[in-house]
This record gives sequence, structure tokens and C-alpha cells, in this order.
Amino acid sequence: MSNTTVKQKRTALKVKSSKTLNVSSGVFRVNQSITKTINPSISGKSFSSASDSKVLDKSLAQTPKHTVQVFDEHGQDVTPHPLYNPDPGVLQPKQGKIFPAHDTSWTTMTDFPSVAFQTTNASFTGPFTKSFFGSVSASRTSQTTESVTDETKELLVKPDLSSSLSDVQARREEVKEQVREDIMDRVVDSYLTETETIWLLDIPAVSVSEDSGDAEAVKERNNAYTELCKNRHGNDKYVERSMQTFNDAPKTKEVQSDSITMVDKAVMSTTWDMYDSFCNKADVSENTVVSAEGNKATVPDSSSMSHLLNPSGLDQSMSVFSTTSTVSGSSAHLEKMTCVLPVEEEPDLELILQSDKFKKDLAVMERVVLANIFQPKLAAYRQLPVIEDPDYVQTQIEEESWTEQSKNSLSPFLEHLWAFKCELTKGRNVSSMTWNKKNPDLLAVGYGQLDFKDQKPGLVCCWSLKNPTWPDRIFHCESGVTALDFSACNANQLSVGLYDGTIAIYNVQTTEQTPIIDSSDCANMHACPVWQLRWVDHDTGLAGEDKGEMLISVSGDGRISKWIHYKGLECVDLMKLKSPNMIVNNQRWNPKILSLAPGLCFDFHPNDSKIYLAGTEEGHIHKCSYSYNEQFLETYKAHTGPVYKVTWSPFCPDVFLSCSSDWTIYLWRQDLSKPVLGFTSGQKVVFDIMWSPHCATVFGAVREGKVEIWDLRVSSLDPTIVSASSPGVNPTALLFTPETDCVLVGDSEGQVTVYKLKNLSAGDSTQVEALEDVIRTTLSSQHTLGKTDRDA
Amino acid sequence: STLTPFAEVEDTLKRIQGINGVIGTIVVNAEGIPIKTTLDNSTTVQYAGLLHQLTMKARSTVRDIDPQNDLTFLRIRSKKHEIMVSTDKEYLLIVIQNPAE
Repeated sequence: MSNTTVKQKRTALKVKSSKTLNVSSGVFRVNQSITKTINPSISGKSFSSASDSKVLDKSLAQTPKHTVQVFDEHGQDVTPHPLYNPDPGVLQPKQGKIFPAHDTSWTTMTDFPSVAFQTTNASFTGPFTKSFFGSVSASRTSQTTESVTDETKELLVKPDLSSSLSDVQARREEVKEQVREDIMDRVVDSYLTETETIWLLDIPAVSVSEDSGDAEAVKERNNAYTELCKNRHGNDKYVERSMQTFNDAPKTKEVQSDSITMVDKAVMSTTWDMYDSFCNKADVSENTVVSAEGNKATVPDSSSMSHLLNPSGLDQSMSVFSTTSTVSGSSAHLEKMTCVLPVEEEPDLELILQSDKFKKDLAVMERVVLANIFQPKLAAYRQLPVIEDPDYVQTQIEEESWTEQSKNSLSPFLEHLWAFKCELTKGRNVSSMTWNKKNPDLLAVGYGQLDFKDQKPGLVCCWSLKNPTWPDRIFHCESGVTALDFSACNANQLSVGLYDGTIAIYNVQTTEQTPIIDSSDCANMHACPVWQLRWVDHDTGLAGEDKGEMLISVSGDGRISKWIHYKGLECVDLMKLKSPNMIVNNQRWNPKILSLAPGLCFDFHPNDSKIYLAGTEEGHIHKCSYSYNEQFLETYKAHTGPVYKVTWSPFCPDVFLSCSSDWTIYLWRQDLSKPVLGFTSGQKVVFDIMWSPHCATVFGAVREGKVEIWDLRVSSLDPTIVSASSPGVNPTALLFTPETDCVLVGDSEGQVTVYKLKNLSAGDSTQVEALEDVIRTTLSSQHTLGKTDRDA
Repeated sequence: STLTPFAEVEDTLKRIQGINGVIGTIVVNAEGIPIKTTLDNSTTVQYAGLLHQLTMKARSTVRDIDPQNDLTFLRIRSKKHEIMVSTDKEYLLIVIQNPAE
């Protein structure tokens, strides 16, 4: 039982406590007052003993009372008042007032830290305790003194404190001063040792195991005790007596303390935040503390926590590796950003919209959105399985068209996928199309009128498969575009031939409207429309020159020229297409006047880049050699109208096709001066032909009003697929896709339609033998029948 | 004819908005405040706020795995629409499309 409960009696220690430095003495006096009445359970035994001993001492020693006084810097007496008055009748509590020291009053002051000190008194030794209490004076009422004295008789009596108090104080002072001086000079060794174990609670066990050695003794004692209890009743040894306990009046005591502010702190430590802060180490030192006022930020977590962390952030050391400082760094940075923004509302929009990144993102987004729409078509184009959108509900109309097509699923047909068109190209005539050599998704289309009349400025559009609604590049040209070709060496160079004879080379990587170079400065430039352009790669060079790629053009002025891009474009004539002697009225025309026949097309042999064919307006096809520009190697005469296209077969090295405005397409073998096969269907001008890059026996032709696909295995009399175009619209250009089985058709309304070849039996091989077979059989049949092919 | 960069951007935006099936386009700045939109105000604010939060979360996810990586595009396919968000540090470009049309 704690002594303090007994000691509810006011030990009126007139102790004034303060923690202020007593300037005069230079000694830090911690005068603590003791309160024993606040909380009886707080004070421990030692506390009570110490205080009581003091009290006892005081009472015994009858020392002159000197009260503890507190003076502040100005010498005012600021001794605090006791909050507790043990005996209201006796005491005169003057709380909150400064009262002179010599007033006797029972003052027990509360000093809240003192209580804490008291409890740990056990561990503190000697001088501290003494100095702690400083000069303690006690004056007490007789009543209380007596009671206290009574009660304290049993207590430990510490040695005479009061008498030695002053000594102690003095001693303490000296010691302290000495210590201070010595400390400056000496090197102090600090030894860290483990403190003794402090037992806070020790409840010894009350039960003992039966097996232990003490068990016997314990059992005996237990038995003895039971015996004792039995014997107690009526025994003289034991007397029952009652005691009176004093129940003192309880009193509520209030304590005031600083309010404990609770602050929520949150730290966001994600991998990327740490990484960011580490990268922006330089920014951290520049950050100012910005208070987040009125942040309409919708960045919830970081802004709220940054507000709290900022004051502490600057205090912390600049070790960037601690999470909290980095967080404050990054969040401070964020704060700085968010606070600046309200001012810059307007330019913000402008900045974003003008940034390059935004432009790119827009382009990507456009493609993404379109991809959603065109996905089935593009999948069909790329020969991927077409996955149906599970959420897509097919409408009635589409079902009908679908079933219609599925009915004809056995016969070959052209499936319409999509069309490249936009308002820019409306009404223009597609004159030429070509694929980019490096990027198979990039298509260049040239728009220009082919007739002499209604010429208007031309247009070159580079379309990407990923965006069929708007071309990626648009180049406006002064006159109609008549020929296009992409370079194979520099895949971004596009050569454009114009109606006025100019050749321009554009760099499609930029959106600049001006070509890299054009031939308008060249003295030798073509005087007539450039009908065809080709970049030709000569692998085998002649005497070291002419290696690499060259641009070759054929023009209406009858010249086939080679263009070199040196400082400007310079051209060298490869061949002049002289028209052969005309026989008029069985008389030879004056051979001295050499006229040049306008050249309309040419094609280099796929295997031997020295040999090329050239078609003229007169209907002749000349085989020429690159190195020999005087004469033709051979001339093929069959057409009666301008030859619009001549093309070697990509698979059979000897075979080529030619088409003309005389409604015919001829298949030739280069060793025969007469065509092997002729294809006619209807009396329509054939504008364009092209061999299929996949199958040797397939080629496509574009006539006025329809698109034809011929397959020579099936029939050489009729086209396998005929697709009529809408009335009034003429298909004018044809292009096969090098990788998939699609064909592109450009028409006179500016549309380039993509069709998929369906049900055309492709076969595994390129069917070269099939073609050769066809030719052979035809020749043999001609031979056996003894007929000679008449001129068409 | 050369267009000023701004006009070019406007053109592209108009083209996107004109594509069949596109319900709306919103451009949102770094705090989630819409700065350009084709939808009505309440819908815009709703989309902007929600998608901004989702984008932050998605970006955090991507960067947590590899801090040198960053989120570039986010696509949400729902039964009725597809929401496509092109992300950047400075802005968000949101396009809502109904691909069925």
C-alpha cells in the first residue's frame, strides 16, 4: 500500500517551483514542487519517502523557513500559485496572483513535470534529488504537521537534508563550475553500457509445479496454513479487530496542457516518384515553400500532403535518398506548377494545341479512330482473319448485300474494300499510282488530266493505308501530274513528272511544298509531257560509271533521258525515238528529216537492266539497249494506235504485254516479231495494264468503263473478272499490291478504289509453266493451222 | 498552300470530329480541366475528371513497373462505346467513338 494514500494529508510544502534559470546564481535550479494530492497513485514510494523525509526534516530541524521564490529576468516575483489548497479554512488561495514570499501559506503547487520526476526518483541518486528540490521550506499547520509526523514516523528517514541542503547547493555549484571548465579541455570517453534491468512489474508466480524441488516445502506450508485457518476460529492467538479508514473528500483536479494537434501525414512513395525526384535533384534546391491556397487541383493525394510536408521539407537535410525529402521535393515541384497555372490559363490552351507532340498525337488518334471503322476492310486487305465485332449488330441492308455476294462465292469477283478519296481529290483524274519501295503501306497517287484540253494544276497525294480519309502528304504542282515513281535507294524520294515536261523530286518525309529539285532549270528539259518515270538500278556498271540508281524518263518529245542529280538535275539522252521511215505513196519520205515519235511508255527488263522496251504514239514498240543509243535492237509493230503501256512479265523473261488505244492488248515474246496473243473485249480504249506480281498468268487491264482481270489459264478470250464502273466514271489507272491479293483502281473522279481479288485460284507456284504452256500451245496451233497473225 | 501550325491542328481536330461514329472529342490539360470540347458541359466535366483520374492511375501503374517507361495511349472498350485517350504530361486527348455506326 502506497504511503501516499496515507499522506493525503497535506504536506504543505511551500515549494514554489519553476524551471526558469535563476540568473543570479547561474545555477539551473529546478525547483519542483511536489504534489501528492493530485493523484495518489502516481507517486511511488520513493517520492513519498523523499518528500516526507524532507517534511520530516523540516519539522524536526525547525529550519528557518525560506520559501522558494521565482524571479523572472526583470526581477519580478513570478512565483506561481498553488492550485490546490488543502485546508480551505486555513489557507487563502490566491491563484493567479503574485504574493510575497514571506506570506505563509500552504501551498502545494502542482508542477506536472515534477510528478514525473518524482516517479523516477528511484533511479536518480543523491545530488540531483537534492538540487531538485532546492530549498524547501515548510510551514505547516499544527494539525497537519502532527498528522504528518505521525504518519511519517514509520517511514524511511533520510539523512538530515535541510542542514545539508545549503551545503549541497554550494557544493553543487562548485562542482558544476569545475566540471564545466574541465570539460572544455578534456577528452571524454563515453562508455555505453546497458542499464540495469528495471523491473516495472514483478508478480511472482503463486503456483509451483509438482515436480519441482520446492513442491514439498510448498505443500507443507499449504497444509500448515489450512491447519492454521482451521485453528483460527476460537484461538487466542488471533484477535479480530477493526480499523477505521479515513475517507477523505475527493476533489477533482484539473490539469491544463497544450493541446496535442493531430496532423495527418501521408507520403506517396512510388517507384516512379522516387525515380523522378532522383532525376530532378537539381530542382529540389530551388523550390520555395509555396503554400497551397485554394488549389483547385484535382491531384488529391499529393497536393494535400505536400502542403503539410513542405515546412518540414526544408528543415530536413538534403539527403535526397530519404523518401520524405524526395516526396517534399517532388510535391513541392508539383505545387509550384499548380500554383503558377491559374495565371497562365489562356496561353495554356495555345501552348498545348501548338505543340508538335499534340499534332502527332492527333494524327495517331485519327488513325486509331479510323482503324476502328476500317478494321474489317484492312484485315481483309492484309489477308488476316476478319473478326466480327461482338457488339456490332448487323443491319438489314448489309445482310442482304452479304448474302448476294456469298451466292457468287464460287466465281471470281472483285470485292470492294474501300476507296481513297477526299474533297481535295474530287473531280481530278488519277493519272498514276505507285507504291513506296520501303513502306508497303504508303501509296503515292498523282492527279492530272491526260488530255490536252482542260489542264489544271496537278496534285500528288501520299496516302497511307492507315488513313483512307485524308492523305498524309499533299503536294500541289503547277501542272497536271502524269508520272510518279518512288526511289528504291532513297525511299523518301518521289519523282514526279508533269504535263509541262518538268520533273521534280519531292522528299515525302516533310510536308514542304517545294521539291528537293526540279528540272525546270535544266537546258535539256523535256518540252512535252513526261509520260513515264522510272528509277532504275543498274547493277552492272559500264566502266565504273552508271552504277546505282538513275531516273529515266520518257516524254512526248520523243526522248528517253537519264537524269543525274548532281548539283541540279542534268539529263543525258539515252535514246531518241526516231520514227521509222514512212512509206507514203510507195515513195520513201525524205530520210533526212528525222522526226521523233512521242514516247508514251517504257519498261526495263526485270533481269537484264540494259534492255528496255519503249512504246510510241505511232504504235511501235522498240526494244533498245542502254548502251547503244543510235539504233533500236528491234521493233515490234502490231498496234495501230498509241501504245499506252508496255510491261515485261515478272516471271517469264521473254514475255511482255502491251496495250493501246486501238482497243487491244497484245502478248508478245521478244523473239517473235508478231504478238502471240491478242486480247480484246469490246471496243474500248485500254488505258493501263499490269501483270499480277503473284501469278504469271494473271494480268489486269483498265478500259474505258470497266476493269478487267484476265487469267490465261482459264481463258484467253474473255477476261475472268469484269467489273464495270459507275457510268460516267472511267478507271484510268491500275496497280496491283505487291504483297497481298488486292488491286487498286484509280478513276477519273479522283477515287482510288481498293479491291480484293476473290476466288481467283492462285495456286502455289507462280504458274510460269502455265503461261509458257499457253504460249506454246497457241504458237503451235498457229503453226499447224498455217495461219499468220494478221495485224490487229 | 502552307497552313499555320495552329490551323493544321484545327483541321485535323475537325476531321476527327467529323468521322462517322465519333461522339465527342475533349482536350484536357494537366490538371484535368477540359480546354476544348465538342460535348456539353456536364458530360465534358464528367469525362474529363474520371478519365484524368484513371489515366493517373494507369500511368502510375506503368511507371511503377519501370520508371523509365511512360503511358502513351489508353483505350477502354465498352459495350456501347470506345473511349480512346492519348496521354502526355501536359494534356489528354480524349475521343469517344461508337464503332458500330
